[in-house]
Formats: sequence, C-alpha cells, structure tokens
Amino acid sequence: MKAIFIPFNQSYRDQVVEILERNDSRGFTFMDDIQGRGTKKGEPHFGTHAWPTLNSAIIAMVADEKVDNILAAIKALDQQTEKLGLHAFVWNIEKMV
Amino acid sequence: MSLYKTAVEKPVSTILVFIGLVVMGLFSYTKLAVDLMPEIETTQISIITAYPGASASDVETNVTRLIEDVLNQVENLKKIESQSKENMSLVTIELEYGSDIDVATNDVRDKLDMIVSQLPDEVESPTIFKFSSDMIPVVIYSATATESVNSLYKILDEKVANPLNRVSGVGTVSVTGAPKRQVQVNVNPAKIEAYNIGIEQIANVIRQENLNTPAGSFDIGTQTYALRIEGEFKESSELNDIVVGSYEGKTIFLKDVATVFDHIEERVQESYTNGVKGATIVVQKQAGANTVSIANKVTAMMPELQKTLPPDVKLVQVMDTSEFIDSSINSLIDTVLYAFVFVVLVVFLFLGRWRATFIIILTIPISLISAFAYLAITGGTLNIISLSSLSIAIGMVVDDAIVVLENVTTHIEKGSAPKSAAIYATNEVAISVVASTLTIVAVFLPLTMVTGLAGVLFKQLGWMVTIVCTVSTIVALTLTPMLCSQMLRMHTSKNKWFDLLYGPVARALDALDRGYASLLNLSVRHRFISSFVCFIIFVLSLVVTKNLKTEFMPASDNDRIGITIEMPAGIRMEIARDKAAEITSLFKEKYPEIDVTSYSVGQADSENAYASMQNNGTGLVTFTITCHPLAARTRTIFEISDLMREDLALMPELYKVKVQPGGSGGGPASSSGSFVDVEIFGHDLATTDRVAAELKKRLEENIKGLTDVQIDRKDYQAEYQVELDREKLALHELSSATVSSFVRNRINGAFASKFREDGDEYDIVVRYDLAHRQSIEDIENIIVYTNKGKGIRLRELGKVVEKFSLPQIDRQDRERIVRVSGLVSGAALSEVVAGVNEQIALAEIPSEIGTKIGGSFVDQQESFGELAILMILLVLLVYIVMATQFESFTYPFIIMFSIPFGFGGVLLALWIVGKPLDLMAMIGMVTLIGIVVKNGIVLIDYITLNRERGMSIRKAVVDGGKSRLRPVLMTTLTTVLGMIPMAVGTGQGSEMWQTMGIAIIGGLTFSTIITLILVPALYSIFGRNGVVRQRKKFAKKFANVGK
Repeated sequence: MKAIFIPFNQSYRDQVVEILERNDSRGFTFMDDIQGRGTKKGEPHFGTHAWPTLNSAIIAMVADEKVDNILAAIKALDQQTEKLGLHAFVWNIEKMV
Repeated sequence: MSLYKTAVEKPVSTILVFIGLVVMGLFSYTKLAVDLMPEIETTQISIITAYPGASASDVETNVTRLIEDVLNQVENLKKIESQSKENMSLVTIELEYGSDIDVATNDVRDKLDMIVSQLPDEVESPTIFKFSSDMIPVVIYSATATESVNSLYKILDEKVANPLNRVSGVGTVSVTGAPKRQVQVNVNPAKIEAYNIGIEQIANVIRQENLNTPAGSFDIGTQTYALRIEGEFKESSELNDIVVGSYEGKTIFLKDVATVFDHIEERVQESYTNGVKGATIVVQKQAGANTVSIANKVTAMMPELQKTLPPDVKLVQVMDTSEFIDSSINSLIDTVLYAFVFVVLVVFLFLGRWRATFIIILTIPISLISAFAYLAITGGTLNIISLSSLSIAIGMVVDDAIVVLENVTTHIEKGSAPKSAAIYATNEVAISVVASTLTIVAVFLPLTMVTGLAGVLFKQLGWMVTIVCTVSTIVALTLTPMLCSQMLRMHTSKNKWFDLLYGPVARALDALDRGYASLLNLSVRHRFISSFVCFIIFVLSLVVTKNLKTEFMPASDNDRIGITIEMPAGIRMEIARDKAAEITSLFKEKYPEIDVTSYSVGQADSENAYASMQNNGTGLVTFTITCHPLAARTRTIFEISDLMREDLALMPELYKVKVQPGGSGGGPASSSGSFVDVEIFGHDLATTDRVAAELKKRLEENIKGLTDVQIDRKDYQAEYQVELDREKLALHELSSATVSSFVRNRINGAFASKFREDGDEYDIVVRYDLAHRQSIEDIENIIVYTNKGKGIRLRELGKVVEKFSLPQIDRQDRERIVRVSGLVSGAALSEVVAGVNEQIALAEIPSEIGTKIGGSFVDQQESFGELAILMILLVLLVYIVMATQFESFTYPFIIMFSIPFGFGGVLLALWIVGKPLDLMAMIGMVTLIGIVVKNGIVLIDYITLNRERGMSIRKAVVDGGKSRLRPVLMTTLTTVLGMIPMAVGTGQGSEMWQTMGIAIIGGLTFSTIITLILVPALYSIFGRNGVVRQRKKFAKKFANVGK
C-alpha cells in the first residue's frame, strides 16, 4: 500500500479523479482551495489579487502495483499542459485500520 | 456553491432562465407606449375667478391680490403669477418639482375657502384647474364647410367631438371658431320706451313663460295621474307671441317691440384653414395619457366620422404632435441598432474569433431587452431619455463579458479544460467585474434621486443604465462562463482564408501594443515632464473653449411654425381677418414647403377653456403653419421663420409680430427654442412702461442674437366709460350697481332663458337691436327705471367719456410685472444673457423698480446648478467605491485625473463642431464620470497586480500598460462607436440628442488618450514616493542593526 499525494491546479480535478478510477483506486481524500507554490518554475497559487489561482490536492492510498501506472498518467497529463502545475509524491503506508 | 459554478454545471437551466428573461422583455416591449420625454409631473395649479363687470384694476385689487396673499402660504411654492383681466382673474401657482399636486390642490382649496367671504358679492366662486404641459393639444383638426357653416358647431359637437371624447385618454375635445346658435331678441328702444317696458321685464317674462312645471299628482277613480304644465317653447317663433305687458288696456306682444332672430352668436372667434372658413377641433389628452396612442386612435376614427358628416363638411388635420414623436423615436431606435452593429465589429476586430464574439455580443440583447421589462413595470415609455440610456449602455454591457471571456481564454490556453477554466477563471475576475459595475452604479443610481426638471430626465436614465449594467454583470458571471465552457475549444482549428484576412489586423494590433509599450517607457522615464505636458494640454483645452456657448434645450425641427400677429388695440376683427388672409396667400406663394396654414382670429368664447387660456382678442391672429416633413424640403423651419419675419416686418400695420419655429405652447422640455425675459417689477404702471420701452429699444438695437423683442404688457385700450354722478343717483334712489346692470343688459344683452330643441339648449338673449347700439347717443339715451317705476335717461345720471385703460395687469410673486422678452436666434443663450445684463446696467432704471432675468435662462441656471452639485457628489461616490476596491487613498486619486480630462474633451469636441453646451451634453458629462474612470481602474488594477507579483515599478507599469491596452481600447471603442450614430444624428429630432453623443465621444476619446499616458506616469511618481518612504522607514527601524 502506497500513499500518493497529488497537489494540482484546481482545473485538473476531474482528470485526476478519472486517472485514479481507471486504475481501480476508488478511495481518496480531496482537499479544495489550498495554496501552494512550486519549487522552481511554478507560478504561485495563492487565491490573491496577484496570484488568483488556487490548488486542490488529493491523497489516495493505492495498491503498490498501481502506483507506476498512476504516476505515468499524471506525468503525461502534466506534460500536456505544463503551465497549470501538477505533481505527485509517493510514500509508504505502515499500517491501517 | 458559487453562481458561476452552478451556471456552468447546469447549462440548460441557465439558458432557459435567460430565454425567459428575453421573452418577458420582448413581451413588455410590445406593451410599451411611445412618448417624446418621460412624463413630467404637473406642478401648476390655476385659479380662475370671474368678477363680471369689473375692470382689470378692480379685479387686481379685489380678487387677485386676496387670492395671491392667501396662496402664498401653500407649501413648496415656487412662483405665483397672475393675470387680472376685465371680468376675470387668473392666478397660477407653480410648485417645486416633485411636490404632490393633489395634496397641494386640497391645500389651495382650503386656503381659498378662508377668503371667499372677503371677496366682493358679485365674484363667482373660484375654480381650481390643474394645468400641465399635457394641455398642449395632441391633434388639431380643422373643419371647413360651405352650406352647413351656420350649423357647423352643432354638427361638429355631435358627430365629431362627442365620439372623440369617448376615446380613452382623451381629456377634452373643444370646437373653436364655429358659431353657436343663439336666439336673439332684438329690442327697439323707442318702442319699449313708449310702452314703458324695460329689457329686464322682457327677459323676466321670457324666463317665466319658458317653463315646464310638474304640478303634482292626483287621483281620478282608481287611477293616479300626474299633472304638468308645459310652457316651454317648442319653436323659437313662439317667442313672438308672448305677452310682455299692456299699455292703455292693450296687450303688447313681443313682436310689437322686438324682432326674434334664431341665428348665430354675434362675436365669435373665426378660424380658417388654407384660407377657407371653418372650425378648429382641438383634442387634448388627460394628464398622463399617451400622446401617440391617442393620436393613432383619433386618426383611425376620422374616416368613419367623416362619413357621418354632411358632404360639404371637410376635416383636415392641421397638427399631429405624435408624428414628430414617432419619427424621432424611430430614428433613435435606428441609432441604437447602428450602435449594436458597431460594437459587434469592434469586438470581432479585437478578438478575431467568431465564437468568442458571439458569446460577448449575446450580452447586449439580453441586458437591453431586460430594460424593457423595467419600463413596462414602472409604466415608463419609450422616449428620448430611455432610448439614449440604451445607447449609452450598449457599449458598456460588453465590458464585463469581455473581461470574463479573456480570462477564460487565458486559462484554456494554459491548458485547462474549458469547463473548469470557465469556473475558475470567472472566480478570479468576479470581484473586479462586480467592482467596476459598482462604479457605474455609483454614478447612475444617485441620478434617480435628483429633483427638479433635470430629475425627471435623469430618473429614467439612472434606472435604465443601472439595471442594464447589473443585468450585464449577472450575464457575464453566469451565461458567459457557461457558453465559454460549451463553445470554446482548447485548440482552435486555423482557417487559411481567415488567417489571410485577419492576419494584417492581428499584426497591426501587435504593432500597436509594441508602440504603446515604448511610448509608455518614455513617459515613465520622463514622468514629471509627461505629467506636465498633459496638464498643459488640459489647460489649453479649457482656454480654447473659454467662449463656448451654453444653451438649455436644443431647438428641433418639428415641421411647425407658430405666428402671432397683433394689430393695434381695438381694431375690428374683420380687418384683422382680411390681413390674415393676405398673409396666408403671400406665404402660400412664397414658401412651397407649407402644407397647411390655419389661423384663428377674434375674441374667444369664455366657455371654451382652451381658447380663453390662449392669447386672443379682436385684433389678434394666431397662425399654425405645418410644413411638409423634413425629408421633403431643403429649408428648415428656422430658415423659413427668419424669412417670414422679414416679410412681416414689411407690413407696418402689424403692431406686434411673433414667429416661433416649433409652434407655440409647450412645457419646459418642449422644443420651442430659448427665450430671454427681462422681468421688470414695480407698482407704478407709467414708470414700468417707460423702463420697458427703453429696454426694448436697447435690446433691439444692441443685441444681435435676439429677435422678436416684445413687451408683454397689453396696450392701453380706448374705451368709453360711463361716469355716474353719485349725487344725482342718490336723488333718484339709484345705485351704481343698478345703473350698470341696466346698461349691461341693453348693450351686452340680458340672458333670459334657454331654448330647448332636440335635447340641445341654446341661449335666449334680449338686448337692443344692433342699429340702436352704435353711437354714444344710443348709450346716453338708455332709460334707467327707478324703484318707483320712473324712467330716467342715462345722460341725466352721468356722462359717457372716452378713456384709456389697461386690459390686463400681470403680476408675479405678488408684484406687478412687465416682461420684455425676446427669442434667441442665431446666438447662444449665454451670449445673449450677457448682452442683456449689460443693457440693463446701462438703462436708466429708478431705484424702486426691480429687474430680473427669466425665461429659459432661469431654467438653465437651475438645472446646471443642480447638475454641478450632482457631479461633485458623484465624483465623491466614485472615489469611495474605488478606494474600497483598491484599499488605498492614492490609486483612486490617480484615476480621478481622467475626469477633468474627460470634461476638457467634452468642451473641446463641442467647440470643434460648433455646438453649444446644453442640457443633453451635461447629461453626457455626468455619465462620463462613471465611464472614464473605468480605463484607469483597468490600468491601475493590472499595474498593482504586477507590483504584487514582484516587478519593479517601471516594469510593472510598462508591462501592465501593454497587456491592458487592448481591453482599454476595446471598451473605449465600443462606447465611442456606440455613440457615433447619435452624434452624427441625421434623423428627425436628432438635434435633441446630438450633443450628448458628441460630448461622450469627445470626453471619452480625449480622456482615454491622456489616461493612457498620464495615469502610468502619475503611478510611477506616487509609487516611487511610496517605495522611498518605506525604505526610509525600514532604514530608521533597523538603523542600529549590523553596526
């Protein structure tokens, strides 16, 4: 079991959820209207006058074998529209109830 | 869930809601009535009081002054005017605009009740009359007849006036110029003197004989019968056989002493149409009724009515006020449509995409049509103001949609899916879209609270623009994102042909962007110099236009010319009539533009309210000339009027001439041109006469732009007065009152009774035969009977002397007044007023005489004064809205600089095209306050955004300016081009809105050009100061750190 944290520009929402569903990963936690800024090139998403866009994020717990597929799809999506901003971070899950 | 999210996610509901709105708007449109101006409330109340037999000065002292004194306490009183004429007092009070006329009328009635007991006994009780500009006739027909001319009144009254009166909305239908039937008993004085019978006795006998009396009911057997005595005459010839008295045992019949004529009235007003004698039928509407619909109904009825008339009676339309309204409104609707086309072109030019253009253009019909629903709900009409508002709004309603669409496009280009781009992009700009609409509302909503005449005009403008802009914002936040999500594509397929055509445009726009960026760079680098240059340009614009003329309302060509000519006082009606016929045939020959000429001449019947409110008299002729429509002639009514004035000046027998292009009458907003009145106040008639004559001479000689200078005081009229010797009266136990009534009954006639036939009533009047009332001797020979029945000739009681007296005394605000008034022609009002003031200063005026300038000038001063206060208020409001939006005191201050440049541009534009600054141009200036700041807001908003994103001041300014140039140009161009059809103004009535179009175009263009340079320059000045201040603060705070 791996956790994938996907912060993205709000307008990616439907596509990200679709990627997860295609990979049989139904469960996720969705956070809307969050702020963030990329490390290098990314524009800030602050929801302010100067930087009006906002991010959302999804944390999804997926089966190990799905992770690569999901990351590949997300990378493809990001490359299509680089300016919007989309990332995915993966780490291990120790336990769950 | 936000508004736009719902809209994007529910496209069907969104579309249907707006379709519903449009359908409702279109439905309302079909219900809307057409009128020239918004309804102007009545603010005048007239009180007419008859005082039979009193002279003008008696009426003034005994009636008018009492009424004036008591009415002076009415609330919201603006002005009291009065006319004291022979037999009649007319007091008119004018209330402040917006006062409740019904409350005031009740108040007036109460106040009058208080003084009724103080009035002389002979005074009839005062009648209160709500007068308004609605009293201007809607249609005037003229009826001509040959054989039926003597029965014309009855025919017209029954067959035309009565059916027309039943048309809903028609106030009164009055028939003027048709003589009424009257039964005249012309008595031979020699005979009645011989029989010792007085006129009073004859009148009394007739009254007693002409009676039907119910005598009660009585029973015969089982039945009850009514008992009646029918004495009423069945034929007028029956009068001949009534017994008026007996002399030495012989019965004297009426035919022995008098001849009975069943004929027409003696002194009447006559009217002529195209030289043929006839009658005038004047249709007036009820207050608040719609002119156009009444005129249409009346016109539609006419062919039917014509069929019921005898074949020799012909009806001709002399005037139809609705024609002018109709054609004006139609030409204004055309300008709105042209404006729409221009806006579509501009939007397409800048966007270069059909779909995007379609989405934006859709906002226009939706928001404009919704305004019709507002008009229908509030009972408004399609008029010049409401349609002009649409014309102003048409360029502004697309602004919000453009901002939204642009941002959605940016998001899509970055890679968002259209649907999410629509939601998030709208979310980003929603606040600034709402804020910019608030700025507009801050200007237009306060307009609805203006009072006075300007308030009437502004109320609809304010509401219309507020509603249209609010709806457009709602559309921009719902329908526009929804359509964007459905119609915009991530990758637009490029068409080769399209590229070929649009390519040059796109390149030109890019070049413009670059050119502006380098200009901006220059101006920011030399920010102080460029600010100074802008300031100099502003001062220059004011200096150049220093002598700009001002005017109240522009005159417009409505095909009508009104002429009043006056022959010397006391001249017989027949002579004036011949002169009028001569003038008619002269004009007919000289001016082929004339369609119908009609005139009326003579003294009006006191029963005819319309005619007696007009100026009338035996030597007075009133012409109404209708020309062919403007399109069918080359000379305007103003040119024709000027020529007519020259023609009439060549006729020395005309004592006073007044030629009024546009026709006479009309409310304050009518198109009858501008008047300047010099009001001279003073009690002594001789002194004020002298001052008035001197001023008239001075104005005529020294002021070029003033024509038809006239003194409104009537001429002293020669009259005969019977001076009674009170001692002799006392000797015979007679009073002045008895004697005067004897004289009156013999000359004017004693009203005996009414002769009834076929349900109509005709007066029976007994008086001396015409042959016996033609000389002073006839009057001196009148026999007055004492209480003892002894007859005494009038010459034994006093003498008949010739005297001069004033037939009418005018007062204003409880002082006697003479007005010297002139029509402004060929010069602006302000110029003429300055000249008049100069002449007043030069004239020799005694200290007890007061002078004041009135006429259109006063209206202009009042309205302009209110507008000036209004503008200050609006500027303040706009500042507040902007300051809250930017959360800053400085930025809105910078943006406000575009307002004076806007005004400078208005003056400059008017100066270039040679138009005066009038009320409509002022309305344009007021609306400019809201429009010009928008450019500044867009610029400053983006510059601060760049600053927040960390750019240096100069880069923020240049980048921001470059990226906002297109939106600024686009919104400016849509508004400017939307106004061009108005400013060019070729249709009928376009004179009225032309200046508004010119003002907005000039002001907006000038201020936009200046704003694009000045606002960035000022921003860099203020911005730098701010940065420097912050650095100093920082340095002070951390001065010791690091040492």
